[in-house]
Amino acid sequence: MGDPGKTPTLPVQGNASARAPHLKDGDPAFLTTRMDALLDAARKNSLWPFPFGTACCAIEFMSFMMSHYDISRFGAEVVRFSPRQSDLLIVAGTVTDKMAPVMVRIYEQMAEPKYVISMGVCACTGGFYRAYHVVQGIDEFIPVDVYVPGCPPTPEALLQGVVKLQEMIARGETHYQRALAAARAAGR
Amino acid sequence: MKSDDVVVCDPRPLTFTQRFYLVEVVKGLAVTLRHFLGNLFARKYTVTVEWPEVKREYSERLRGRHILLAKPDGSPRCVACYMCEEACPAQCIHIEAEDDPTSPSIEYEKRPKVFTIDLLRCVYCGFCVDACPKEAIVMSRTHEMAFGAREEAIVGLDELLQKGPYEQLDLGYRPYFGAPRSKIELPIPVKAR
Amino acid sequence: MGDRDERMAAIRKAFPAGSVEEVPGGDMLTLRVDRRALPELARRLKADPALDCKLLLDVCGADYPGRAERFEVVYHLASLQHPFRLRLKVPVPESDPVVPSVFGVWKAADWFEREAFDMFGIRFEGHPNLKRILCHGAFQGHALRKDYDAGQRWLLREAEQELPAWATERVEDGDHFETQVLNLGPSHPATHGTLRTVVRLDGELITRAEVEIGYLHRCFEKMAESHTWNQVIPYTDRLNYCSAMMNGVGYALAVEKMLGVEAPPRAQTIRLILSELSRIMDHIVDIGANLNDLGAMTPFLYMYEAREEIYSLLEACCGSRLTMSYVRIGGLSHDVPHDFADSVRYLLRRIPKLIGDMETLITNNRIFRDRTEGVGKLSAEEAVDWGWTGPCLRSTGVAYDVRKAYPYLGYETYDFKVPVSHGGDTYARYLVRVEEMKQSLALVEQALARLEAGPVILDDHNVALPPKAEVYTEMESLIWHFKLIMEGMKVPAGEGYGFTEAANGELGYYVVSDGGGKPYRIKVRPPCFAIFQAYPHMIEDHMVADAVAILGSLNVIAGELDR
Repeated sequence: MGDPGKTPTLPVQGNASARAPHLKDGDPAFLTTRMDALLDAARKNSLWPFPFGTACCAIEFMSFMMSHYDISRFGAEVVRFSPRQSDLLIVAGTVTDKMAPVMVRIYEQMAEPKYVISMGVCACTGGFYRAYHVVQGIDEFIPVDVYVPGCPPTPEALLQGVVKLQEMIARGETHYQRALAAARAAGR
Repeated sequence: MKSDDVVVCDPRPLTFTQRFYLVEVVKGLAVTLRHFLGNLFARKYTVTVEWPEVKREYSERLRGRHILLAKPDGSPRCVACYMCEEACPAQCIHIEAEDDPTSPSIEYEKRPKVFTIDLLRCVYCGFCVDACPKEAIVMSRTHEMAFGAREEAIVGLDELLQKGPYEQLDLGYRPYFGAPRSKIELPIPVKAR
Repeated sequence: MGDRDERMAAIRKAFPAGSVEEVPGGDMLTLRVDRRALPELARRLKADPALDCKLLLDVCGADYPGRAERFEVVYHLASLQHPFRLRLKVPVPESDPVVPSVFGVWKAADWFEREAFDMFGIRFEGHPNLKRILCHGAFQGHALRKDYDAGQRWLLREAEQELPAWATERVEDGDHFETQVLNLGPSHPATHGTLRTVVRLDGELITRAEVEIGYLHRCFEKMAESHTWNQVIPYTDRLNYCSAMMNGVGYALAVEKMLGVEAPPRAQTIRLILSELSRIMDHIVDIGANLNDLGAMTPFLYMYEAREEIYSLLEACCGSRLTMSYVRIGGLSHDVPHDFADSVRYLLRRIPKLIGDMETLITNNRIFRDRTEGVGKLSAEEAVDWGWTGPCLRSTGVAYDVRKAYPYLGYETYDFKVPVSHGGDTYARYLVRVEEMKQSLALVEQALARLEAGPVILDDHNVALPPKAEVYTEMESLIWHFKLIMEGMKVPAGEGYGFTEAANGELGYYVVSDGGGKPYRIKVRPPCFAIFQAYPHMIEDHMVADAVAILGSLNVIAGELDR
């Protein structure tokens, strides 16, 4: 990880929603996969975000936290500033080449399962900073599950991004889950 | 600077009750309690928008996803003049032009063959709308559009082109907002000097 | 005035002929100075009571590849006693790009000189710590030179992250206990942005500190050189994103000054109203975040309501909550909505209540006062020496406000007061900001009463886009529209320094035009750049928790700091 270009640790392939069609009752793997579904349901409803706020989007991230939009209605209000305690990295704002190693380090420190939302066009693609010191999309360095456009996105847009991520977790489509599924398939 | 232009706000020494702290605590608690009770019963202070069930009232000028307006026959009004591409500070618009064989007059001799906008590059500044001389590109109020991949965000003509009648579009930033939802009629009469 | 001319002449006489020359024209007195004469001239300018150039506002470089002496270092000086401003230009040849540092005269030169070194490769002889400041350590070349490709990036690996040399040494304190080095940031809950402070701790006392910035260096100045004058406006919005409107207003005023035009009265009034509301918004974030760091979350929640209400108004005006892109050179992009006055009146009723709530909770709260009084104290002399402006300077007792000293947007016709406090500490900065919010509300109220009907943008086809109706129907307007979009407006060749009072202090734009459709060079003088360079010196002998309180009270906005 941290090597641009080869982002997910494990090879990502296929859609894991059809994760294990061959499983039957009594199969020893049956219990673990159903367990996964249960865990995913729990995880998606209690995301603990790490606000990697760098720029303007961090100000809108504040609005997203505050009483007007109130992310706690979606179970993600426990903002943690320690990567070890959080499972959702929200990159809010421009990431520069100077900041990129810090971001990669934080991503690596997060305990699995981990998800990434890229908030705002600067984090997604570099936006209108096609410049010598700006990362042209954080997916150069870390895998991104949801891209939220806007400069900065309105709080509703970010809320919708979180809802979309929750749906993806339920369907097992996030980078982490697909990598995990692929590793299991390869291991059997 | 004249001295009467200045207001001095040096700290006042704490009074005994303030030093004693308890009175101040009660005063502070009264404020928070007022907000709490207001939220609980009167719903007077409740500001939370119950998104997604309830949406707040958006401005008539909100800058969201772009719409390419269409002529009555359904083809884009755009004449591929490259003005929006040039005006875009993020260079997120890409246009390729072609001759329009169906053009009824000299007014529309070109049309866009390719018209893409990278919604993940766009900074939603509205400069393309200001630049358009044909009122072909306007902005909608659609701003909730999370993507799962970067490729999804590069939208072409078919996704951008207006869907449904003009009156039903959720229009945001555009020329003459505030006025009744009307657009200029085509073809525009050219008034030479 | 005459006295000042005499003093100037006397000072110039002290130097050999040709080493200090006046450049005719321009928006302020400009001297071209031989670099050998610079240190002595600087000392005299500062010491002379009639000139009193105590405030060094800005040092920046500029690159003119065509000239015999390729680079130029530009200094902007101001006097706090007299309405007097001065620009010094020091030509530097490419073969020997060395200029004597003026850090010994004004401490404010510290980071500004480092930035000029980083961007142009001009070395400042005698600077104590001359190294890159905005770009990272693995960066090659000097980004703002005209021959540097704007898209050329250099990757930084984690191992190459910089640490000050002293941080790796082992140091024992007086009791032979080892001191430790603590790294705060760049991703840290108390930094509110991307700032990094490395401190050496003796117990919990900070004995040495160094700040690393540039984690949000988004190349504003390089980007501005490749966009037309109007296209720069969305970029200016993202400088100080807490009060985006004021950056755009400052930029538009600077360019309008060079064009020799003025926005219509209605546009000016609207600009003033929205600027003052932005100032309130900015102070809300600053105070709220500061209180949040100190453990008081509730006031931030209450104050944020005010911010959301202002957001709604801004969205109604321009279509975006935060980054407005509302200002255009020559006015505003379009008129305010019909219910604008009612919305502002509603805000004028609503915000004072929320400020009142916050004041009840905080102002005389003993815990808050104990945490902030006497913490991060700076004297007025030092603050001026470091180049401070804005609420932070006023909290040390210096009543300097651009709105009063050099009025723009018609500020001289409004009745408002400049809040000043004499503590110079974190609590004084809080008090000044609270009072400024109240003064801003008074300003908005007066401006609203004066809002009269009229156009909001100039009727000048060389500057502003023609009205849409004419673009659609008239050939001539369409041609002007086309020319403005494709080529951009033509700003007469020359230079200008436009400055306004932004939420953090004096926001200056040094603009150079070569007569083309794009700026030749734009240098932003960000207020918090000067403020933040004093921070490592302020936190010495304080505890880590105090350092957090001080940082919050300085209101350092990374977007403006690093640009």
